[in-house]
This record gives sequence, C-alpha cells and structure tokens, in this order.
Amino acid sequence: MTQSYEVFLGCSIPNRFNNYESSMRAVAEALDIELLDFDGASCCGTVVLKSIDETSWLALSGRNIALAGSRGHDIVTPCNGCFSSLKDVDHVLHSHEEHRRQVNATLKKLGLEFSGDVKIRHFVEVLYDLKDQIEDKIVHRLDGLKIAFHPGCHLIRPSPVAEFDDPELPRKVDELLELTGAQSVPWGLKLRCCGSPLLISSEEVATSILKEKMESAREAGADCVVTNCPACHTQFDVQVLGMKDDEGVSLELPALFVTQILGVAMGLDRERLGFDLNRVSLAPVAEKLGLQ
Amino acid sequence: MTETWGQLKSFEGKEFSTLDKNFTREASKLIGGQDLTACFQCAKCSAGCPVSDKVNVQVHELMRMLVFGLKEVLDTDMVWLCTTCYTCQERCPQGIDITDIIFGLKNMAFKEGKTPQGYIVSRKGLYDTGKLYEPTDWEREDLGLGDVPELDVEDTQKMFKDTGLMKLKEGDEE
Ligand code: SF4
Ligand code: SF4
Repeated sequence: MTQSYEVFLGCSIPNRFNNYESSMRAVAEALDIELLDFDGASCCGTVVLKSIDETSWLALSGRNIALAGSRGHDIVTPCNGCFSSLKDVDHVLHSHEEHRRQVNATLKKLGLEFSGDVKIRHFVEVLYDLKDQIEDKIVHRLDGLKIAFHPGCHLIRPSPVAEFDDPELPRKVDELLELTGAQSVPWGLKLRCCGSPLLISSEEVATSILKEKMESAREAGADCVVTNCPACHTQFDVQVLGMKDDEGVSLELPALFVTQILGVAMGLDRERLGFDLNRVSLAPVAEKLGLQ
Repeated sequence: MTETWGQLKSFEGKEFSTLDKNFTREASKLIGGQDLTACFQCAKCSAGCPVSDKVNVQVHELMRMLVFGLKEVLDTDMVWLCTTCYTCQERCPQGIDITDIIFGLKNMAFKEGKTPQGYIVSRKGLYDTGKLYEPTDWEREDLGLGDVPELDVEDTQKMFKDTGLMKLKEGDEE
C-alpha cells in the first residue's frame, strides 16, 4: 500500500545537505512512499525560536501543522529539529487548552485552524514500518562496515513527545542499518548530544562536545558515523573538518546519512545518493560501500 | 563586546538579595514548570548533562535556585549552554520537565537582553524571510532536485506581528 505524506524539509537540509534530500527521495521512490510538496511552509523555528519566544514558536509550527491538515495530509520530515518542533508543539497544543486557544486565535486571521488530527512522523519511522520490504531489496551487502549510529536527541527524547524508540536503548534505526550486513557498534557516548544547538551561543563548547563524541566513536572502532538529522550532520561532516585529538591525530570519520547507507545497499542510483557532497573524505569506506 | 549573559560565575562569596516567592511561582507557570518544587536535589540531571563539566553553574544548582526564588538564575551560563538534549528531563526521578523549564528561562532572559548575539540575528532573519537558512540552488540542479516549494513570508510575518516576536523587550524595533 502506498503511504502518502507532505514532506517537511525545513531549511537546514536545502541549505546544506541536498544529498540527504536527494537520497531520501530515492529511497522513498524505491519503497513506494509518496512525498508531496509542502506548499507555503515556513521554517519550523526549531529550538532557536523556542528559546526566544514560545508563543511565536507555538504559532509557527501550529501554522505548519494546520496547513497540512487543511489539505487532509499527514507530515513526514527527515530532520530531527523539525520533527521535534512539530511533535512538541502538537503535544503542547493537545495538552494545554489555553495555548491552543491562543494559537487558534492567531491562525484564524490566516484562515487556518489547529485541529489536532495530523500525524507527524520522522522519515526513519516510516522506514521502520517498511523494514521487511527494505530487507527484500538489499542487493549490495555492506558486511564488515562498522557504523557509529547517532540517533540525535530529538528523535528519541523526551520520549512522551517523540514516541519513537526506547530513550535509553534505542534499536530501531540500528536494526534498519544492520539489514545491510553492516554492524551498528555500541559506543559510550552514542546517546550524548552532538552539540550542534550550541553553535549559536558558543562554538567553543559545541566543539568540545563534538570532540568527545568523535573520540568515543573512534574508541569503538567505527568506520563511519551515520545520522538522520542535518543539524547533527553539520557537526559530524562540517564542524569536524580539521579536528584533531590532543596528540594531533585527526578525529575525522566519514559521515553519512541513513538514507545513503540504505540507498547504496538497495542498489539505487549512485548519483542521486549524492556522495560527492559529503565533506569528510569517504575514501576509508569507499571500497565497502562499492563507490570505487 | 562584553557578554550580556552568563555573568554569574560562582556562588563563592556571592550574596543573594532575597528569596523571591513570586519568582518561583512565575517559573512554575512556565510550560513544564508545574512540578518544579518537587526537586529533591539528587543531581541525577547534572550527572548525565553533556555540559556539566563546561559550565559554572550546573543544572541541579539551577533547579535549586528556582526553588529558592533566585532571579539571578537568569545570569547563569547554564541557561544558554543547555543544548536542549532532554537527557535530564528523561531521567529526573521526580518527573520534572527540566529542559522545558530551561526553555522558559531562556525566554525570560531574552526579554531582559541577556542573550547570545546569535539569537538576535536569527530572530531578525526568521522574521524577514520566514526561514533560518537559504537553499543552495546549484547543488539541487546537480542532483536533479526541483526547487524548494515557495515559502509564504507574508502570512508568517502577520503571525509574528500578532505574537509580538519583534517587540519582546522595551526598545525592540521591527
Ligand atoms: S534530577 Fe530532578 S530531582 Fe534530581 S536534582 Fe535534577 S531536577 Fe532535582
Ligand atoms: S537538556 Fe540541557 S540541562 Fe538537560 S542534560 Fe541536556 S544540556 Fe543538560
């Protein structure tokens, strides 16, 4: 059965990671997931706007949800930040009568209403539903590839809002990755924040958190880091460039999106998976991924 | 530029004016603030916090300051160095929505002009364009991706006028 969603890209993916969008679309097509354009969307505001003014943040995501609702569609997003904004606002508007009234008063002037019956999902949630289908489509096995998978905070926490996986021992996306024959290795700081939300207030602290993460991934013997969020990916594929440990040894590890790993294992068009746009060199994993 | 946030570097020799019950009450009304006073100082929140070793005032201390009604909490670096990772909130044995409370404190601090510069810049960008980042066109073409669907800046701005986003503090201008 075809699943159909309006796809909420947010602004970080089109700004920096078109390879994520492109690989997501390729995987979605192969699995018969219909992704409709999200016309008239605004940015989700993410934790940035929530930090500045919760009233505006509630209205902004309230509007995005109401827009999809007015067209009778559910929402899917490949970004943890957007996922969190949309889910969190949905949660607040469901549980706080007062906030809901206030948001609806604002939305009314735009001819919209938050009715609360739109489903909001992360793209990896949709993929998890289709696990069996994905397994059937694996044509290029990635045996021996050791992945440090980084779920990202807002995919799993706070769990009553995210409603996706065990917040202390998440397994779902790891299961998907392991369908390819790759191994999702345990690593000490796996659940630790990547630090990206701090790039706006202190790059220094954001960087020190990232350094700890990279040391942990290396210690676990990972060949690469895999994410499902453009904000986390900014840390692992951009901010990490040139990063060294205290002995001067490079801490860079190839950084890939979940959809690039699944796409390559499903034998999808390499061009659309966008490997040329990954910043950290993929050379150490090129052979295992069959990129050579 | 001198930093306008994170001025409270240490409790050492610091004298606090009064314990302000109203401030505790105000904080309890924040989204997630309802169970604030149930904090029994186990410090589990700080144990798992990614910035505990990087801040002057840790999150369990921040919680204590709230219970004590110390408005100086808005001057701690913990407020803006909270990554919003929700680890503390997930684990608090008293079920306190710690991270959500910190979001509320950020809102309060922003209103007082105690905020990292980046947030002021982002607010303006969001108001002017309806987004925080611009799409990169050339890459999209190379990957065979279509244009990002148009954003409706006008409606978003209308809404922000309604919520007063650009006038959160006295002297703010659109
Ligand atoms: S974990 Fe909860 S109860 Fe324990 S110190 Fe932190 S806020 Fe207080
Ligand atoms: S949400 Fe903030 S205070 Fe809580 S553990 Fe994460 S960084 Fe620390």
